[in-house]
Amino acid sequence: MKRTFDAIVVGAGPAGSSAALTMARAGLSVALVERGSFPGEKNMFGGVLHRMTALEDVFPDFWNQAPLERHIVKKGLTFITEESSFNVNFDTEHNDTPPYNGYTVSRPKFDRWLAEEAVKAGATLLTHSTVDDVIKKEGRVVGVSLLRDGAELLAPIVIAADGVLSFTAAKAGLKRPQFDPSEVAVGIKALVEMPHDVINDRFGLVCEQGASNEIVGCTSGVRGGSFIYTNYDSLSLGMVLHLSSLNSSGKTPYDLLNEFMKQPQIAKLLRGGRLLEYSAHLVPEGGYNMIPQLFDDGIMVAGDAAGFCIVTGINLEGINQATQSGVFAGKAAIQAHEQRDFSKASLAVYKKMLENSFVLKDLKLYRKTPKMLHNDRIYSQYSDLVCSMMEDVYRIDGAPKETMTKLVLRNVKEKVGLKNMLADVYGGWRAL
Amino acid sequence: MNINLDEIFDYTSFNVDREPHIKLNEEICKTCDQRACTNCCPARCYTWDEESQKMTFVHDGCLECGTCYVVCGNNAFTRWRYPRGGFGVSYRMT
Repeated sequence: MKRTFDAIVVGAGPAGSSAALTMARAGLSVALVERGSFPGEKNMFGGVLHRMTALEDVFPDFWNQAPLERHIVKKGLTFITEESSFNVNFDTEHNDTPPYNGYTVSRPKFDRWLAEEAVKAGATLLTHSTVDDVIKKEGRVVGVSLLRDGAELLAPIVIAADGVLSFTAAKAGLKRPQFDPSEVAVGIKALVEMPHDVINDRFGLVCEQGASNEIVGCTSGVRGGSFIYTNYDSLSLGMVLHLSSLNSSGKTPYDLLNEFMKQPQIAKLLRGGRLLEYSAHLVPEGGYNMIPQLFDDGIMVAGDAAGFCIVTGINLEGINQATQSGVFAGKAAIQAHEQRDFSKASLAVYKKMLENSFVLKDLKLYRKTPKMLHNDRIYSQYSDLVCSMMEDVYRIDGAPKETMTKLVLRNVKEKVGLKNMLADVYGGWRAL
Repeated sequence: MNINLDEIFDYTSFNVDREPHIKLNEEICKTCDQRACTNCCPARCYTWDEESQKMTFVHDGCLECGTCYVVCGNNAFTRWRYPRGGFGVSYRMT
């Protein structure tokens, strides 16, 4: 079986559906190819979707149309040890009015909605379709073949939006099929059922307000961290672990998550909850340095497939970059069709658009962050330092007090070492 | 609360394909000195039996995350691809 389109998009995630939507609205015939039985079936993430400016002209009241769980008003960062936790929260009414600054979403619902919007605009959604290979003719990508029955889809443009491993980009020769385990992290997540009102009470929220909390120090020294996000009537609770560090630790992700859930302050938040679903996915965390070749004759790469993900430890972004890159790839494809030129030179405009936007600007700005985050002290010693310092600050036990400077210096010397601390502060400052 | 992978089929849905999407050359695993797959796989699909010196891989509960693909230092896979369309893990709520 052969079918011909103006463009093929591999993967109906945020990048792919945004690309398909953009092209379909311009009148191109688009195949949106998805290996799941519905878009979103294979997709998971921590849980926070940031504001997607790329789609705001298509969905001016996005928050009324998309299936969202809660909008985030409260952002927290927690340093945790086995017994203690120190929490910094930022809570603002500014994030309680639209356009909201971020949302929690359920991917099987959200990705399905976005793909359906692409279909409404005229795209052809092909589910149950795993791409097997790219079809090349005279060195140019001209289509893809499917695993199912060897069916061939042909188009002058293919957009690889098939996620972090992107076999489509690899098979087209745009990136190596191998990964460096130090550039990739595994995210695991437990979805925990909890009544809406209980969540509101425990997290200090009302109505559909949401909270997001990143936690460091709970990974037994493995590079990574945890998160807790509030959905409408469930919590997303999980952990992101660097593969090279996880490997050398000999620990398993689920044991680490189980230990985290037993930590007394976390256990209080989870009390009475019921496990609904367990999921896992890889995160491209190499930043600017792991970006593959982004375009070639007849092909562009978008979203996680292109490594468009920013992890600073404070914000964890990816879907906003995915959506923006999908829209840009769609626009580049429209332009290529107008000029009837699908060559590498013609598609170079895609990279120009990315370079002029937050996508590559931010990745470039934070290009040193992945290396800074490879500092094991962040995961093993700093939470201990912060919590022991706070314990000393708050302890009143009849012993004469020391000055704040003395207290801090003593703790730093004991837990981290003064030289290490100064080096880390400097490194952190430069990287962020 | 506790995640018990023996009960993974109780909380995560799968449409298991009889044809495995990942195949191993177990001879390579025998000589591997890391076996990163056994501790890194979040679904515990890989188990190494020290006594019989044998690697066992079961694809039924695979979450299709790709961790094994990235951490395997010896390229022990004779096949690593995503399941055929419609098969494999099926997230409903995540």
